[in-house]
Amino acid sequence: MRRWWAAVALCVAGHALWVAARGAETETRRPHFTDIAPKSNFAYRTDNNFTGRKYFPQTMCGGVAAFDFDNDGRMDLFFTNGAKLPELEKTDARFYNCLLRNRGDGTFEDVTARAGLLGKDLGFSFGVAAGDYDNDGYEDLFICNAGRNTLYHNNGDGTFTDVTEGSGITKPKDVLSVAAAWFDYDNDGKLDLIVSNYTVWTPQIDKICAVNGQEYYCHPKVYPSVAHRLYHNLGNGRFEDVTDSSGFGQELGKGMGIAIADFNGDGYMDVFVANDTVRNFLFINQKNGTFKESGYEWGVAYDDSGNAHSSMGADAKDYDNDGWPDLFYNNLKGQIWGLYRNIGGKYMNYASGISHLSRLSVHSSGWSNGFVDYNNDGWKDLYSSNGEVDNMGQTSRQPDTMFENVDGKEFRDVSAQLGPDFNHAGFQRGSAFVDLNNDGFLDLVVTSLDEKPRILMNSADNGNHWLLVNTIGRRSNRDGIGATLKLTTVSGRTLYNHVTTSVGFMSSSDKRVHFGLGTEKAIQSLEIRWPSGIVQTLKKVKADQILTVTEPER
Amino acid sequence: MTTLTSLCVIIGLLASALCAQPAASSEALLQHAITLQQAGDLDGAIRAYREYLAAEPDSVQARSNLGAALARAGHYDEAIAEYDRALRKSPDNPALLLNVGLAYYKTGRLAEAAARFEQAVSLAPQFKEQVTLLLASCYNNLARYKEAVTLLASLEESKAGDPAFDYLYGTALIGDGQAAGGAAVIHRILSRGDSAEARLLRGTLELSAHNRDGALVDLEKAVALNPRLPGAHARLGELLLTDGEPERARSVFTQELALDPAEFTSNLNMGVLAKQDQDYAEARRYFDLALRTRPNDPGVRYQLANVDLATGKPEQARQALEALIAESPDFAEAHATLGTVYYRLNRGADGDRERAISQKLMDQRDLPLTGAKPR
Repeated sequence: MRRWWAAVALCVAGHALWVAARGAETETRRPHFTDIAPKSNFAYRTDNNFTGRKYFPQTMCGGVAAFDFDNDGRMDLFFTNGAKLPELEKTDARFYNCLLRNRGDGTFEDVTARAGLLGKDLGFSFGVAAGDYDNDGYEDLFICNAGRNTLYHNNGDGTFTDVTEGSGITKPKDVLSVAAAWFDYDNDGKLDLIVSNYTVWTPQIDKICAVNGQEYYCHPKVYPSVAHRLYHNLGNGRFEDVTDSSGFGQELGKGMGIAIADFNGDGYMDVFVANDTVRNFLFINQKNGTFKESGYEWGVAYDDSGNAHSSMGADAKDYDNDGWPDLFYNNLKGQIWGLYRNIGGKYMNYASGISHLSRLSVHSSGWSNGFVDYNNDGWKDLYSSNGEVDNMGQTSRQPDTMFENVDGKEFRDVSAQLGPDFNHAGFQRGSAFVDLNNDGFLDLVVTSLDEKPRILMNSADNGNHWLLVNTIGRRSNRDGIGATLKLTTVSGRTLYNHVTTSVGFMSSSDKRVHFGLGTEKAIQSLEIRWPSGIVQTLKKVKADQILTVTEPER
Repeated sequence: MTTLTSLCVIIGLLASALCAQPAASSEALLQHAITLQQAGDLDGAIRAYREYLAAEPDSVQARSNLGAALARAGHYDEAIAEYDRALRKSPDNPALLLNVGLAYYKTGRLAEAAARFEQAVSLAPQFKEQVTLLLASCYNNLARYKEAVTLLASLEESKAGDPAFDYLYGTALIGDGQAAGGAAVIHRILSRGDSAEARLLRGTLELSAHNRDGALVDLEKAVALNPRLPGAHARLGELLLTDGEPERARSVFTQELALDPAEFTSNLNMGVLAKQDQDYAEARRYFDLALRTRPNDPGVRYQLANVDLATGKPEQARQALEALIAESPDFAEAHATLGTVYYRLNRGADGDRERAISQKLMDQRDLPLTGAKPR
């Protein structure tokens, strides 16, 4: 073991100190992350316009989308930004949103203006969702705002057009939208849109809260809860607001992250919405255009003591490889992040304690999050971007955390071993998982208030194998969002995942489905269940490739 | 401890005097037992009393004395059993009631202790002075602060300045939400110099005013000044727990329970921590201990019902929650969990009803929130 450390220190001189610092506690070679953002020339900083007065939405700024806008095979990045307050306008360049084109050489080019995505006419922007809503082969963007929400159509020539007007995507006056997700709830081959809304807010009705003359961000409960909104894609760029008829309108929440998955295995996508300080929602698809809010039935509305927490980001993936998507949301320091294990598609068991997440998470205030197999060992780990709501104490700035999955049963904190760039302390908010250099290891992109984003490249140096699957739907939506994948390795190990871009909080991740394979180099079979109902099985698939799979005719 | 033991012995002798005399043929054996007890030979006395009682099972005096000997030897549960048997023969015996109350007090069964003390004083008002502080301590520990205030307020003129009185009265006033009165008592204690008691009270008061930083300083100082002060570790643990320091909280709760294994707050929170770790057997053990101190406490019963649900016993959880809600109909979380339980039991309509009730209750509870605390 000692000889190995020495070899690493010699080979990677720049990391010698870090390797020495992590000491003898590690037995497994772990990838680490290096921030490559400083290599690129772009002006974007997450700017929430904090100037002393604490406006409610300032705590939520810096959504991220990882998507390939120009179809060059390399994932690009889009960031949302704040606005001048109380004007609620992007009055100058520091508030503009940002599109970075991946040059493929470890640097990014700011192409925002050329793409028409500055968002000068938008208010304070929060979440972003990437998806090809018109099935033209180019990823589009939806942006959540205080002010009007925005649908950008990707023109396929490097530019986008704001097509919100006339699209039917409207919302009640002054509703503050935080996050959105594309999914095809009726399996008609067209992506529908769910938007999580937080409250009704304008700068004029912003509340001031203070103790002993010191202002702080008000508790969410001083603001009213509102309904999340569901838009049905009618085709031809038109959407119908089906919030009320679908059942979404009956439930009022304070929406944050959205997780999309087929929780009960009926072939229809369900929706989990993490709510801040009120119960979480699990909308189970009734397969007839309606949803039933089933958080109580499934045991995910509250924690296991009936408490609602400040739920922030959300993700739904199968962390124990039993074939059923589980649920992970994070929340604030002093609370316990929620991990729920799906019991056969019938309900969920609270698993934060038994998995050690309760002890690991209690010191961190989490925002965006997700299941991510960062080390390609075939077990999905838990990532969270962290930082307190307010800047009122010495521990307000926080580093991100990575809790490594140990055989699908429990988690251990390996954050300190992932390098100094990973451990940057800040007011982290949005994050996306994406393979930026197509090496099969997932990289991280993280925003932090009043800072440039970090583009954290995975060192990809533990020798584990992988598969990335790029689904192209034909009868199903072109992105294949909602397709479920079952991978069986040659040793008989089975891994599960599904296509979604909605991960974490305010963010949109790489749509390609990622599998870490550990030491296995070959795949016995890959079964894809498309939203159309078509089941496709590929045999003897090579590992370590980006596999594009097109949906068959039948 | 010394005071309580002395009181127990004195009351034991009082009980002896009040009890009927045993048959003459066994007089020598009984006298021998009393002599051994007075000489401090508790094991010998216990053996002698038991021998005597084998022949004279209806002797209230002997059984009462046996209870006293057992209590003094630390066998409180056995003592309670003997006292209770004696009380069946002599139910209005105030000395016996005081003795059994003391035994209950020592075992942390404070609700039962308080009930016996109240009954004793109602039968023999002359005992009031002897038990007032014990009864007030029971009330405080049972969160029956208003009753403690009522009990102690009448004694303030004569007892103010007595450290034990001031501490109990301050605790009661703060617990009852009478911040100004509590602050005055703290000031009175501090006028005699810094003390762990004053720090504990001030820390408690600061907690109720959301001054967490001040509370932390005072509670840590209280523990430093007197690591054996009852309740100080428990209060500090509560603060640490809500401040996101569960491991430190676990440590101080453990220290509190080393001082007083029956301390309610520590048992409850240790149970919650064990439940968070999904160590349900350990959680249940702590909750049971908490319930022993505060029988029927709704919060503990709710936690136990959650343990039932988490361990795959929805039917047991249903029964517990239905009983709990019958007594505490505004317990929103209990309605929420009962809703989940009903759904698990395929009783959808009942689940819908409980869900609606819980939502209504939570909405009502949220209405007055003004954002008066940072997140």
